[in-house]
Amino acid sequence: MSQAVLPAAPAPVALLGRTTTRVVGVAAVIVGIVVFKVTRQQNVPSWLDLHVQRHAQSVYHWIVQNTGRNWFLDAIKSIGNGITWCQKRGLTFLRLLHWTGVVALTFVIGYLRAGWRTATIAAASMFAIGLCGFWDLTMVTLSIMIVAVAFAMLIGVPLGIWSGLSESAERRLRPLLDTAQVMPAYVYLIPCVAFFGIGVPAAIVATLVYAVPPAVRLTSLGLRQVPVVSTEVGMSFGSTGPQLLRKVQLPLARRSVLLGLNQVIMMAFGLVVIASQIGTGDVGVRVLAGLQKLDANLAFSAGFCIVFAAIALDRITTGERSLKPGRPMPKWMADRRALWAAGLAVVVVAALSAKVLSVQQYPSWRVGIGSWAKSVIDWLDKHARHGVPLIGGTDSFNTFLVRDILIPFRSMLQSAAWWLVVGVVTLIGWVSKGWRLALLCALAFTGIAAMHNWDLAMDTLSQVLIAVIISVCLAVPIGVWSGRSRWLETALRPFLDTAQVLPQFVYLVPVVFLFRVGPTPGMIAAVIYALPPGIRLVSLGLKEVPLAPREAAISFGATPRQELIKVQLPLAFKSIMLGINQVILMVLATVIIAGLIGGGALGLEALGGFTKPNIKMGDGVAAGVSIVLLAMVLDRLTQAWGNRSDQEDRPT
Amino acid sequence: MTSIGGVGETNSSISVRGMWKVYGPKPERIVGSELADLPRKQLHAQTGNVVAMRDINMDVAPGEVFVVMGLSGSGKSTLIRCLTRLIEPTVGTVRIGDVDVTAADKETLLDVRRNKVSMVFQHFGLLPHRTLTDNVAFGLEVRGVDKTERRRKANETLELVGLSEMGSYRPHQLSGGQQQRVGLARALATDPDILLFDEPFSALDPLIRRDMQDEVIRLRHEVSKTMVFITHDLSEALRLGDRIAIMRDGMFVQVGTPESVVVDPADEYVENFVRDVPRSFVVPVEHVMRDVDGEAQFSGSVSLGTKVRDIVKLVASSELPVEVVDESGRQVGCVDRVHVLSLIAGSEP
Ligand SMILES: Nc1ncnc2c1ncn2[C@@H]1O[C@H](COP(=O)(O)OP(=O)(O)OP(=O)(O)O)[C@@H](O)[C@H]1O
Ligand SMILES: [Mg+2]
Repeated sequence: MSQAVLPAAPAPVALLGRTTTRVVGVAAVIVGIVVFKVTRQQNVPSWLDLHVQRHAQSVYHWIVQNTGRNWFLDAIKSIGNGITWCQKRGLTFLRLLHWTGVVALTFVIGYLRAGWRTATIAAASMFAIGLCGFWDLTMVTLSIMIVAVAFAMLIGVPLGIWSGLSESAERRLRPLLDTAQVMPAYVYLIPCVAFFGIGVPAAIVATLVYAVPPAVRLTSLGLRQVPVVSTEVGMSFGSTGPQLLRKVQLPLARRSVLLGLNQVIMMAFGLVVIASQIGTGDVGVRVLAGLQKLDANLAFSAGFCIVFAAIALDRITTGERSLKPGRPMPKWMADRRALWAAGLAVVVVAALSAKVLSVQQYPSWRVGIGSWAKSVIDWLDKHARHGVPLIGGTDSFNTFLVRDILIPFRSMLQSAAWWLVVGVVTLIGWVSKGWRLALLCALAFTGIAAMHNWDLAMDTLSQVLIAVIISVCLAVPIGVWSGRSRWLETALRPFLDTAQVLPQFVYLVPVVFLFRVGPTPGMIAAVIYALPPGIRLVSLGLKEVPLAPREAAISFGATPRQELIKVQLPLAFKSIMLGINQVILMVLATVIIAGLIGGGALGLEALGGFTKPNIKMGDGVAAGVSIVLLAMVLDRLTQAWGNRSDQEDRPT
Repeated sequence: MTSIGGVGETNSSISVRGMWKVYGPKPERIVGSELADLPRKQLHAQTGNVVAMRDINMDVAPGEVFVVMGLSGSGKSTLIRCLTRLIEPTVGTVRIGDVDVTAADKETLLDVRRNKVSMVFQHFGLLPHRTLTDNVAFGLEVRGVDKTERRRKANETLELVGLSEMGSYRPHQLSGGQQQRVGLARALATDPDILLFDEPFSALDPLIRRDMQDEVIRLRHEVSKTMVFITHDLSEALRLGDRIAIMRDGMFVQVGTPESVVVDPADEYVENFVRDVPRSFVVPVEHVMRDVDGEAQFSGSVSLGTKVRDIVKLVASSELPVEVVDESGRQVGCVDRVHVLSLIAGSEP
């Protein structure tokens, strides 16, 4: 039988019958509650504490003291300085282009890669940055990002080629990539600050490291998707390995590599604006200042600069010109070199004309987007705090969410005996996929206990779970609806497209002004950030359900409701679980960042690690480890649920 | 089959001895052992191996068209790919011309692939990022021919297959039949001695398929290349093949001329294949010929090798037998009406 090839042990649940599972489940819950009541307040014993804080802090001090004396540290330092040198040159170049040149360059790239429409949108977005008032600071952000992206591609693409061509390389890189993917941005900043100190080098290196995995992943994926026959064609005509790679495999993987570039850019952008907290002196700093001083005008103006830059970058890297069938490529388009030369000429002319017309500085045209946003916020502040029918107003909602939901839930998690939590998570792991996952869960949560920040971890976990529940309750129905309704899908698309390219950081701006400081804005921002991919994956899943079974159901007289519940949803289960997996990771990432705006918990500890390394590095490292462990468990569990439906369907 | 090439020409035949291909872990231990005789499913369940090709021996003479036929999964693609080691055979030797391909080092192997053998693929295998000209020029390009020269040659070859003027199109702008013409042109552009076809026309609809077969037949007459042609379509095999090998579960169950396969199937498997073929279409007159027994009057005269169906008109028009002559016009026998009719009716004379 062909199943012999896939020696997948069925999940324990699959072995038990359905009824048995239910009885056992109910019994487990009752036992859990009893144990919870009896064993409250058992804190993590001191023998489990690994003293990570103390060790990490002393390692950090050792690094600080030995910089300039130890060749290894110096080597690292000079790498950082070299990269920073590149960034400085990059910034000089952008300034040399003036704003006219930058806008023209955006247009030219957009035009050559995709056409008029894309070019116009991208160039207009770029132009709008200046209208919001922070042209030069945004160029600082761009220069950091461009350099980080360039290095990320230089490292990521060769690694991707390696892992795309060799099974063993892929096997070796896979766990690294998987882990890298679930780590929230803050985690990358801590070690970078430890080695490079606070400042631009740490920010660039963190961004670079953060952006390498998608480059590797998509390059490798692209190579793996090259049809076997194309490789055979290449080989059958006597290509050598390098010829095959250059003439067949890479060109066919091009689309995927470019998609990787787009992802790298968007991820890098997301991290750069967060890294402004370690003093990069870019536009993110203004957002921070606005948030700290509760200056809506400042925060929104700077925030919109980030939004416009993100849109411009996304546009010029996703578009792709398509050929009309039945006609050869126009001659003028076939000569790419001449095209790019012409484009370059346009850019140079634009840059020079700024000089000639002496408008080197971005003119004083401004659009009061910040003050406009501020007046909306003020209006909402005045009218929507209390007494709004149905939802009750932002303040009432805030109180409700914190007092009636978060705090009870959090204190339940915190007051439960630590080993009970470990046990429950382990049990969930076992039920989901068997002993391997159970072991991973047990080790990870014991590891969190050993970090000596158990209560903070439970705080983060409670915020994440609540935000996830809210997100899922919103994303699944909206996704289902838009998967079945064409007009809703069309109406949502521009929002989803835009929302997906914005860094998490900008979502903090509106929620802080609406919900003030505390855990609520973080959770709300997490929900807003996680919704678009959630909605998208759910609706995609529904739409990808093949027509045949749906038609079969309809032909048997199923109502649309029955068709949805009995056919579409079960078949889209995997995709929906993938959506939930994404939602969880994105919520976690945002909740961590929200430590900055009063979310507290592990996020605040991690933040301390890289903003005040002298006193908080140890705490930061411990928090970082806890965050990674937490992320890993959440990721594996939801992935296991997504794969479980397969196993249950398999005949035994 | 005798050699068509003149004296002194390099011998470009293919010769395969004792070739096996076993997929899966530790393939060598399967070859020749009892394990290899297990049923497919059982072997796969037991060891994870698949025997795709077992003990293949074949010789293809220069200028011959050797057709391999079999059901899906019988190992045809594996066989043709092993000839130039696109897939490494597990054991066995392949000689192409005077080169032992299986023992060849990297350079020799590249030389064989670049200069001696070209392949046409089932799903065309055109490279979507290249224009037609550059697709056809691909073989020359990896060989290191400079740009203008290879483009000139490529356009010439495109003209040969009736696609001149379309060189700057991309593959996806073409119909399936046109795409396979490009595939053929690409294989011809390097001017190889040997052409390998892996079910090249099975994705095309019947009319276009016939066109393409005519194209191959024309090629055979014009440029005289050695060809190995994989197909699972019997009528294609009968039209094109000088000899046909029938493959089943990785083995050749019969190798022979089209008529011998049709008239004298080696086993039930082959018989199932050929059952529906009108014998008169493939069987030549010598099969139903008898010695001349004093007759002096004939209804007409045909040469050796004429298919039986082509003399139907003659025997229908007269009671007299039909005279059969050889190339030099010498009488070698005659055919009676009754024998022709019984062959058509399906019973042996
Ligand atoms: N890479 C592989 N790994 C394992 N088994 C394989 C592999 N490639 C082919 N096989 C098996 O080897 C057998 C022969 O395959 P092959 O592709 O040569 O058949 P084929 O005669 O060309 O079939 P078709 O007419 O469908 O193209 C099949 O049973 C196939 O499943
Ligand atoms: Mg095949």
